[in-house]
Parts: sequence; C-alpha cells; structure tokens
Amino acid sequence: MRLTAEQLAWSVHGTPLLTDVSLTVEPGQTFGLVGPNGSGKTSLLRLLAGLNKPKAGRVLIDQQPMHTLKQRAIAQSIALVEQQADTTDRITVRQVVSLGRTPFLSALRPWSKEDDAIVAQALRDVDMAHMTDRLWHTLSGGERQRVHIARALAQQPKILLLDEPTNHLDIRHQLSILELVRQLPITVMISLHDLNHAMECDRIGVMDGGRLIDSGLPQEVLTAARLRQTFGVHAHVVNDPVDGKQIMRFRNSI
Amino acid sequence: MLSSPLLFNRLWKPDMKNVRALLTAAVLLPSAHAMADATDYPVSLTNCGVEISVASAPEQTVTVGQSATEILYSLGLAERVNGTSVWFNPVLPQFAEANEEIERIANDDPSFEAVVNKRPDLVAVQYEWHVGPTGSVASRDQFHELGINTYIMPADCDTKDNSTGGDGTRTAAFSTDSIYKGITELAEIYDVQDTGEALVADLIDREERAIDLANSLELPEDLSAAFWFSSTDLGVSPFMAGQLGAPGYMMDKLGIRNVIESDEEWPTVGWESIARADPDVLVIARMDRRRFPTDDIEAKREFLRSDPVTREMTAVKNNRIVEMDAHAMSATMRTIYGLESLAEALSTMSFNQ
Amino acid sequence: MSIALTRSSTTGFGLRWLWLTPIVLVAALIAGTAIGETSIPVETIVKVLANQLLGADYAVDRIDAGIIWNYRLSRAVVAGCCGTSLALAGVVLQALLRNPLADPYLMGISAGASTGAVAVAVAGLGAGALSLSLGAFIGALLAFGIVIMLAHAANSGVGGGRGVQAAGAIILAGIAGSQLFNALTAFIITKSASAEQARGIMFWLMGNLSGVRWADVALAVPAALFGLLVCLWHRRSLDAFTFGADSAASMGIAVRPVRGMLIIAMALVTAVMVSIVGAIGFVGLVIPHAMRFIVGSRHTRLVPATALAGAVFLIGSDILSRILISGQVLPIGVITSLIGAPAFALILIRGKRS
Repeated sequence: MRLTAEQLAWSVHGTPLLTDVSLTVEPGQTFGLVGPNGSGKTSLLRLLAGLNKPKAGRVLIDQQPMHTLKQRAIAQSIALVEQQADTTDRITVRQVVSLGRTPFLSALRPWSKEDDAIVAQALRDVDMAHMTDRLWHTLSGGERQRVHIARALAQQPKILLLDEPTNHLDIRHQLSILELVRQLPITVMISLHDLNHAMECDRIGVMDGGRLIDSGLPQEVLTAARLRQTFGVHAHVVNDPVDGKQIMRFRNSI
Repeated sequence: MLSSPLLFNRLWKPDMKNVRALLTAAVLLPSAHAMADATDYPVSLTNCGVEISVASAPEQTVTVGQSATEILYSLGLAERVNGTSVWFNPVLPQFAEANEEIERIANDDPSFEAVVNKRPDLVAVQYEWHVGPTGSVASRDQFHELGINTYIMPADCDTKDNSTGGDGTRTAAFSTDSIYKGITELAEIYDVQDTGEALVADLIDREERAIDLANSLELPEDLSAAFWFSSTDLGVSPFMAGQLGAPGYMMDKLGIRNVIESDEEWPTVGWESIARADPDVLVIARMDRRRFPTDDIEAKREFLRSDPVTREMTAVKNNRIVEMDAHAMSATMRTIYGLESLAEALSTMSFNQ
Repeated sequence: MSIALTRSSTTGFGLRWLWLTPIVLVAALIAGTAIGETSIPVETIVKVLANQLLGADYAVDRIDAGIIWNYRLSRAVVAGCCGTSLALAGVVLQALLRNPLADPYLMGISAGASTGAVAVAVAGLGAGALSLSLGAFIGALLAFGIVIMLAHAANSGVGGGRGVQAAGAIILAGIAGSQLFNALTAFIITKSASAEQARGIMFWLMGNLSGVRWADVALAVPAALFGLLVCLWHRRSLDAFTFGADSAASMGIAVRPVRGMLIIAMALVTAVMVSIVGAIGFVGLVIPHAMRFIVGSRHTRLVPATALAGAVFLIGSDILSRILISGQVLPIGVITSLIGAPAFALILIRGKRS
C-alpha cells in the first residue's frame, strides 16, 4: 500500500511540532526517517498511525483519506511499533503477540486456528518461537522489542511503522531487526538514530524542527553538508573496501 | 453505683408505694435542712462527677437540650432563661408563649461563643456529650474558667457511661429518680424549692397512677414489647430501645418484657431478630424531625404493614402498635408522660387470642 | 505444548473450570440464606426454598419463611451482584488506567455517595422525601461528573492523546474530587450531627445490607449483568490496553469512546451498588489482583473469574458480618477490609517473588 502525507501539521499548546510535512512511501518501499532529537519523527509516525489527528493536512492510505476510516480499519492496514511500551501484567510472549489479531476479531469472528498460525509465524519471523511461553517481565530489552515487532506482524499490516526499534539493542539484534524489516514485502517507515543503518533503506527523509527538509535516496540525502547543517557533526563519507558501500565516519561535533 | 438502682428495682415489686414514699424523701434529703423556703448559698453539690458551687441564684441561664429547658420552665423559671438550644420537638404547649420570648440560639448544637455571649450564670445541659470531656459545645472546664457554672441533668450520667456505645451505654437501669434528683437540685440552685417539691410530687403521682392502671388491666404474664425509634433508611436495621433506658424503665414498671436484650441506649437490631423475637406490642416513635424516611410515623406504619416479614408479626397482625412522642423515649421529665400513654394504650388492647 | 492447551491459556474460555461457576455461586447463595443473625433450622430453610422454588407445600412459620425468602436470599443475591460489580469495575479501571491501585472508588464515587447520604441524613436535604440511597446515588454521579470534568480539563492541558498522561489525569482528578467531597462530608457532619446520625451514617458508609429486599434485587441484578456483559463484550479491547492507550489505538481500539464508555458504565454500576448497600471497600482492589494471580491477565478468563470471585467474596463477607459477633451485625466493609488488606499485601509480596 502507498502511504502519503499531505502538508501535515501538528502542534501542542500552540507549539508547532510538525509543519507542512508532505511525503509518499511507495508500496513495498522501506523509508528511513532520520533527524536530531526533537525533530518531530515520533510526532509524524503518530499522525501516520492515526493516533493523533493532524491539525492541518491529511494522510492517505493508497487513495483513501485516513480520517474517513475507523480506527479498526486503519489498524487492519497499519501497524505501529512504539518506542517504549511496557506492561506490569503477568503475560506470556504468545499472549502479547496474540494482541496483534485484535483488529480482526469480533463477536462474529472469534479466535480461530488461522489466528494461531499467524501468531506462530510472526514469532518465527522474529526468531522468538522458542520463547512463546516465557513471561514478559523475564525478557531482555531486545527480546521485548522483537516481541513487539512480532505483535505488529501478527496484525498482517500492509504498512508497518517503527519508531526507533533498534534503541537499547545490542549490535547483533539491531542488525537482525533491520534485516527482517528490509525483507518484509510491505511498506515500511522506520525512524532511526544510526545514520549508517539508515543508509540501508530504499529512501530516507530528514526531519529538522518539525519539517521534512529533505528526502530521496540515502546517498543523495546524507551528504557531508547535510550532516553538518542538520546534525551538527563533521563527517566523512567513505567507501567500505569489502562491499563498496558508503559509510559515514563522524569526527566531531560543531 | 452499680448495685443500688438494681436493688431499688427489686424492692419496688413487693410494696411499691411505701418504698416510693421513702425514696422521695431520700431524693429530697440534701435540701431537707433548708426545707423551709430559702436556699443557703453557696450551694455545693457533685454533678456528673464534677464539684460545683453556686454562690447565688442564677439570674441568666442558657440551656443546651430541650429537657433542661422544659424543667426550668416547669419550675417557673422562664424569665431567668435567656437562651435555649438543641430542640427535638415543639415545646410543651403550656410553655409555648413563654418560649416565644426567649432567644433560640440554635436548633442543634450551639457554638461555645454563642453560649458565652449570653453572659449566663449557669449553663443547664441535657446530654453530657455536649459539655463532657470531649464536649461538642465545650468542656465544662472551659465554662468554669469563665466563671460560668454548668449543670448536667443527672438522668444522662447517673447510671450511664457516655464514653462507649453509640449514644452511651447504661451501666444500670434508668429510673425516674434521676429526673426527680435533677428537678430537686435545680430547684435548690434557683431557690424555688417549693415549686420543685410540688412538681416532683405531681410527677410521682402520675407515675403511680399509670402503674396502677397497668396493674388493673391484668395483662398477660409474659407480655413483651419493643420500641422502634427510627432507622436510617427503610428496611435498614432500626434503632431500638435497649434494656436500661427510658423505654426499658417503662416496660419494667408495667411488667412488660423488652425483647431487645442490649444494654446500649439505642442499639441497631436487625429486623430478622426483631421479627423472630415477635413482641406482643410495638411502640413507635412520633417526631417532627424529618431526617430519615422512617422519622415519619406513617412511614413506620406503612413499612410494618407492607414488609413481607414484619406484617406477619403478632403485634402488627393484631394492630397492637402504640404511638409515642420520641421525646418521651429519652430520659426526661416526659418519660413519665410516655409511661402514662403506654398504660392507656394497653388498656384499649385485647390480649386474648 | 499442544495447540489446544495454549489456546485455552490465551484466548479460549478455559472450559475446564467454567462449569463450576453456577455450582459455586449457588452454594454461596444457599450458605447466605442458611446462615443469619438468628438461627433457623436447616430443615425449615430447605422447606421454605422448596415451597418457593419447587412449588412444594410444606407448613412453615410465616415469619421464618419471610426471613429466609425475603430477607436472607434477597440479601445474598444483592451481595453477590455488588461483589461482581465492584470487582469488575476494579478490573476495568486497572486495565484502562494502567494503574494497579485503580479502584472503583477512585472516581470519587464513594466520596460523592457519602456526601449525598450525609446531606440527606444530617443536613436534612430533601426533608425526608429523598431517601438516603437516592441521595447517595445523586452524590456519586455528581462527584463522578466533577472528576471527569477535572480529568478532561487536565488532559487537554497536557495535550491530549498521550495515554499515560490521560490515565494519570484521571487518577489525579479522582483524588482531588474525592478530597473535595470528603471535605464536604466532614463539613456537613461538623456543622450538625448528633451521635445517632453519625452512627447511622458510619454504618452506612462502611456498607449496610440490612435494608435489602427484592425490590433492590430488581435493580442490582440487571446492573450487575449489564456490567458483566459490557466487560465480556469489550474483553479484547481491555486486553489491547496491556501496553497502554496508544498501543490499544494502534491495534484498532477507538480509545477515547471505548475508554469513556467503559469508565462511565462502571461508574454507573458502582453508583447503583453504592446507593443500595453503601461503600464497601477493597473488593475492587483485591479480587481482580487475586484473580490475575490465578487465571492470568487475559480478560477472556479474568472477567468471568473476577465476576464469580467478587460475588462469592461478598456473600461470604456478609455471612461473616452476621455471625462474627453474636447478636450484632458488623458493617460488611469492616469484614472486606479486614480480609482484603492482608490478602492484598500477600498477593503483592507473592507477585513480586514469582
């Protein structure tokens, strides 16, 4: 599905957090969202997930304006993995992932074998199938993040939004999650802090001060000038001798 | 303290009139030496555990509690009362006119300053909890520090422990002797002893006639009754008269068994217990207060008639329901009027099944 | 680990214990009918129940029959309804507000009910035409309305939508509203209350089932069933709040209407119960936590388990309140708190260890 934002604006208490953000993510693309702290990445993802209604502009899912859809209909297409979502409930991994089926269940459509299969597949996708009966509070941070992603996958979304999913993860899990996300045949928007990870996306957008100041192919957007201007760092872009890909080396802040 | 009233109770049965005369003399004894017509000041006496000394007859009085107010009126002292408070019922009709002239400081509890502001020589109090150690108006010491004397009606403390139970707990049965004692002591304090004696004599006479009437009725041996004051809501466990309060005294005098066995003044008792005890007579309180639905005597009757359990009770089925002024059910001068009206009501009832 | 077993632990109804529900409930009701402040022989009780339920024609004392059928059974049924409703309200509020200490009385309901009752009883509001329970009901709704308005104001103040803040705003508003109404109650009592009234009010504030009759059953049973059905219907929504309101929204729950509707429904049900029997503490706190400990956090199992346990707990507490001190009936709130407080502590400690 195509995800489109048209001139989105969002503010809290008169303080603008997003101004005039327009972008399009083509079906199947992985779109990376980068920007310094407080640049509006999370606010944008919340609008795109339908958690907040934009003060101006609109969001389109394919051609359908989001505000014409019920929350349940949105959730049948779009899944969100939040940055920090925790619980004190005594709840197993399988139960968490089962929550992802919520938008499809109703009194007339009870839990079925098919749902079991979807949950099991989602757990396999994030490599958590061996931990299905572990209790949530016994999991490590990385395991919890993977369970959240499995929960989102159990929604069988056409569009997946992830808000800094690699935070607090060790490098192996960071890479495995990015790899998983890239392989998904669906539209993905992911906000990232690690700019080198962002280089792996199909396209990226740079947020600064609530505006989308640039978007395009990673190597075209993440230039030394952009890094200096937006992120406040001096950096070299160098080629990796092993696979020839571009990587950034950050030298010092301005 | 504990044994003497009980002893009196036993003595009364065989030869009531003689003992009664003896008692009256005993009650009046403290003032016997000043019998003539004048009081020797200062008057010193122990009132509810506190020594008080009255230097001269009080000219200005504030009352806290209707019973204290009405006793002073009955002693012809209305012009020396310049403030009243804590009213339960309309004043007795014969004092309505006099009462009009006197400022009613508060319907309920007056504040300390409002009482003091009337510059009373004496504060006459019906209930100890208004001026007791944790008095809701003030403690007695607070009044005494300002040179204001306090007098609490002995009916509320002589056989009663006000530190426990909802409305205090009787340590021994209430008897009208404590009422007479209060009248006699107030008469001495105000130097109106002749009036006091006459009032006590009149009350004793009415009491005896009521008892004589009951005796003449040849009531069944094991006649039982219960007094229903009110309830916080329809059907909720009601406040019933305990064994030792004013209603207990009435039943004892008339030879009736109170089915409520508690020693508390007004225990809450479940209707289940009351219905199974199934008293022969139910006495229900009439009052002007309208705080709870069952304050209304018609609501009480309606409940008794319509509730699926109470309507099966003997007293209800045989319509042996007696109305009585709520004020008569508390330990006041009006207790004797209550005794009269209960005896009269019994005289109209048939107990032959 | 078979599919069948895991299904029952996640989404199925746990049919293995469900059939016990009516048996346990009926047993509790019979116990509530058989045990009372006076002792009636079991034989009489069986005869009365047979007369009423099976149309038998045994000769029994009419007062005994009335007590068993009209006092005790109606009282046990209302106690059960009340336990169910309060416990379910606890489940819902704890789930929605993500706060383990959320309690049906948090919404200012008990404070408002007390104020309403005291205003009628002590201040003489309504001059006898207004019953204590009606006063309590009006007070409860008034306080709840104020709490919701406060919460709404506070919530729009922090910029809306953020689930954690919204839940926090409701809890803070509940505390503020409760304090306000408690102060009003204290004001009215200080202004004018004699010992008799204070006693009546106290007894009522701690819960009082002595006035319950079949007319109350006609109110309590539909209210409790309504509460139960609402909870069952929204069991998946309640589950979806596991990771907070935003997470619920991203899984398709229309958070504001659903949360608002559930809270209002539970407030109404609680207000009805409070107006019938007074404020009974700890049920909404202890029962949900105890049941989470036993059947887990999924509402498909938690809701029916809590409904049953709440009913049985309150019927049992009512029995205890009648027999603990012979010749005297304790306020039921005393019993629930005396059992509830240590039980709650135990659950917390054991929950931490596991």
